Amino acid sequence: MNRLRIHISAAALLAIAVHVLSVWALPRLIMDRIITLGGGDAQAQSGPQASTGVYLPPPTDHTQRRIVMPSPDLLYATCAFDLREGPLHIRMDASYPRYWSIALYASTTDNFFVVNDRKNLGESVDLTLIGPRSTKSAAPGEILSPTERGFLLLRLLVNDDPAVRAVAEATRRSLRCEQPAPDRDPARAATPH
Amino acid sequence: MRRHRLIIASLYIGAIFLGLGSAWLWLTRVGIAGVDAGAWRVNLLAGSQSADAYTRARIALGAVLALDRSETLYYTTQRDDRGEPLRAECLYKIEGAPPPARWWSITAYGQDHFLFPNAERRYSVGTESAQLDSDGQFSLMIGPLPANQRDNRSWIPTVGTGGLRLTLRLYNPDPTVQQSPGALAAPSITLIGDCP
Repeated sequence: MNRLRIHISAAALLAIAVHVLSVWALPRLIMDRIITLGGGDAQAQSGPQASTGVYLPPPTDHTQRRIVMPSPDLLYATCAFDLREGPLHIRMDASYPRYWSIALYASTTDNFFVVNDRKNLGESVDLTLIGPRSTKSAAPGEILSPTERGFLLLRLLVNDDPAVRAVAEATRRSLRCEQPAPDRDPARAATPH
Repeated sequence: MRRHRLIIASLYIGAIFLGLGSAWLWLTRVGIAGVDAGAWRVNLLAGSQSADAYTRARIALGAVLALDRSETLYYTTQRDDRGEPLRAECLYKIEGAPPPARWWSITAYGQDHFLFPNAERRYSVGTESAQLDSDGQFSLMIGPLPANQRDNRSWIPTVGTGGLRLTLRLYNPDPTVQQSPGALAAPSITLIGDCP
């Protein structure tokens, strides 16, 4: 009977641990799927768009069943990133005359950075995202991501006017999410980091 | 002895299912904590790095990639002003003053969190599409679309039966709402007629 009580107690602790672990893991699993699919979507595009690192989903309507609660008033573009491959350079023509925002999400789903048309200075977006293991502190214009993997979401406010949608389309096509090729200097490669 | 081992194994397997099941029920049955404004509720930790594990998990299930409150406030509801569950087969009137924000919209979603299919491709009403009356108030209808309302841009069609979710988005809300999201004069939600 004592051994049974021990097993019951252990099972109860196991149930609690599974509960806690499930709650902790769920957003990370959902985000992992989004990041993985997002990266694949960007690469699967045809033509020059495939080399931009940016995926351009179709305009939002009822056929969009991947991301819950999509806004039909926004045109989107996405980038999945893995900063273990190096810093991410984000560039875009920022002259769109209506609301736009670029939001960055960690692999935990946290929205750790956002810039919009009113906060951005100048006619273009030019940002560099570095990972948490970067050996240097973030310089001005650089953003420190709390996780190595993550997701970028561009939102552009649109309406039914074809002229507005055309400008929005051109803006999201100007978005670039680029990571420079790894440094191939043998001396640096030999240095542990 | 063998029976004893089977009992012990069942105990631990049951514990795993209990842990998983309790987590799922807690995340899907318990509402997101937040601040209420009329029938609407806004969670101030959506997208936030300060969110607790349960909030983060609930948001991931129901509104992943939400923006932090510094950029956007999301008011959601699944109930009308009487507290009754919203249903896709019923007709509702939503009315009020345009919310104080750079732009706002009210969008209807099914219980699966996706947009209702409709040939008119109308899914939301907001800053640019809302019709204001002489008092500066807007109103819109959400429910099954009658044939004579197909051109009514202030009618968001729903399809079928089941749960109905509404999201009121405030992008770049005014400072007064930013500081006190619960003080928003939120749109009213009124059931029109009888519901089948």
